[in-house]
Amino acid sequence: MLEIRNLSAFYGRVEALRALDMDVLSGSITTIIGANGAGKSTLLRAISGLIPTRYGSICFFGKDITNLHADQIVGLGISQVPEGRQVFGPLTVLENLKLGAFKRARKTPASEIESDLDKVYALFPLLKDRAGQAAGTLSGGEQQMLAIGRALMAKPRLLLLDEPSMGLAPKVIQEIFAGLADLHREGLTILLVEQDAKIALKMSDYGYVLKTGKVALEDESCKLLENEQVQKIYLGA
Amino acid sequence: MGFNIIFSSTGVINFAQGEFCMFGGLFAFTLAVTAHLPLVLAVILAILITGLIGVLTERLIIHPLRHISMLVMIIATVGASILFKAVGRIFWPLESNPLPQFTSGQVRLLGITVSRQIFWVIGLTAIAVAAVYIFYNRTRTGIAMRACSINPQAASLMGINVQRMAMYAFGLSALLGALAGLVNAPSTNYHIGFYLGIKGFTAAVIGGLGNIFGAVLGGIALGLVEELVAGIISSGYRDLIAAVILITVLLVRPAGLLGKRDVVKV
Repeated sequence: MLEIRNLSAFYGRVEALRALDMDVLSGSITTIIGANGAGKSTLLRAISGLIPTRYGSICFFGKDITNLHADQIVGLGISQVPEGRQVFGPLTVLENLKLGAFKRARKTPASEIESDLDKVYALFPLLKDRAGQAAGTLSGGEQQMLAIGRALMAKPRLLLLDEPSMGLAPKVIQEIFAGLADLHREGLTILLVEQDAKIALKMSDYGYVLKTGKVALEDESCKLLENEQVQKIYLGA
Repeated sequence: MGFNIIFSSTGVINFAQGEFCMFGGLFAFTLAVTAHLPLVLAVILAILITGLIGVLTERLIIHPLRHISMLVMIIATVGASILFKAVGRIFWPLESNPLPQFTSGQVRLLGITVSRQIFWVIGLTAIAVAAVYIFYNRTRTGIAMRACSINPQAASLMGINVQRMAMYAFGLSALLGALAGLVNAPSTNYHIGFYLGIKGFTAAVIGGLGNIFGAVLGGIALGLVEELVAGIISSGYRDLIAAVILITVLLVRPAGLLGKRDVVKV
């Protein structure tokens, strides 16, 4: 579904990604783990078109999407739940969710968007109770649910998640990952960047270990979980 | 309001806003007086043409500079202001280009004589404010423009074309500026933009930069103070007031009367 070849990108003046290759298969959950500053977020930002890339290519369903504008990439079916959630605080929960469907709203009948809204509410019922509330007044976990719901409103074929567990209590993290597992069962392809390598590898099919902007290791997630190196460095075993 | 619409969407303080007012007045004059179009038609066309100038300003002057720096874009608006003024001087060299009053004559109200034009000023301002409010709170594009001002990066992840929203912001500001210019200026000339610009900017700062509706209150406050000073001290000081208030607010409460203290941006 997503093919990244020989990708290099800069974060300011630092080369954050170096000749990186990666594949995300249709219907899979693929995860990227690695230390802070390994280039995980930079990679997601490059895929979403938030930063320009220097060399290499990103193809989505065979179409070259390298250096397209961020809003065009959303239109092609890649949505990102950004690091730190980045909900629109002064806007209501409902307004946030509707903005998620901004790109397709003009061509999609209102009834279809309403039914997608109901699907998001079914996944995270809390959001329905808070629909009229300003997003900034939600707790961290609720904001994360909103950020995911907002991304789903674009009807993505590939969902990128940047550190969805960051700063959340274990119980809330469980709830959110249960929601992601539901989405995956319904056929959504997910690319997950996570600091918490254990939870990420447990729920994913395939994993990449990033180190200073390069792929240090890649394998099926269950094998990475058993890999001695991974255990030592990333799982704290 | 025009200042704040552009500032909140793009972070740019548009020093050419006063010239949008000037264009509104001058185009209305040409269309109504020189071309003998009906006044209503002339006013609508003048507002639309100025809106188009706003859009072109964003596309041709601001857009190409977006990757360089905010300061460069702001300086570019000063350049645009000078350019517009020069264009105004070439095509409308007269000191006075009077637009007929919408309804002429005066009425006595509570013992004071006021020109009938004032009702147009108040009425059209109220309609414009209400229209902008509805636009920002009820329409998809308006809410998207608010999203851009809150977090442009997250907005682009929603599939919102942030650059296009900036263009709309310039167009909308120019529309409002033109309306303000032609309704307020019984006689427009090419350097009126400067005074209107200063007053508009002061109103925006009083209300809090980026606070679109604060600017309306700021404008009312400024107008009241100006009239009080003109009445109590001397009308000669009227135009000085805006500058004094502007500097005072910037020194004492840079976020504006309604702004939060911690959102001071430079």
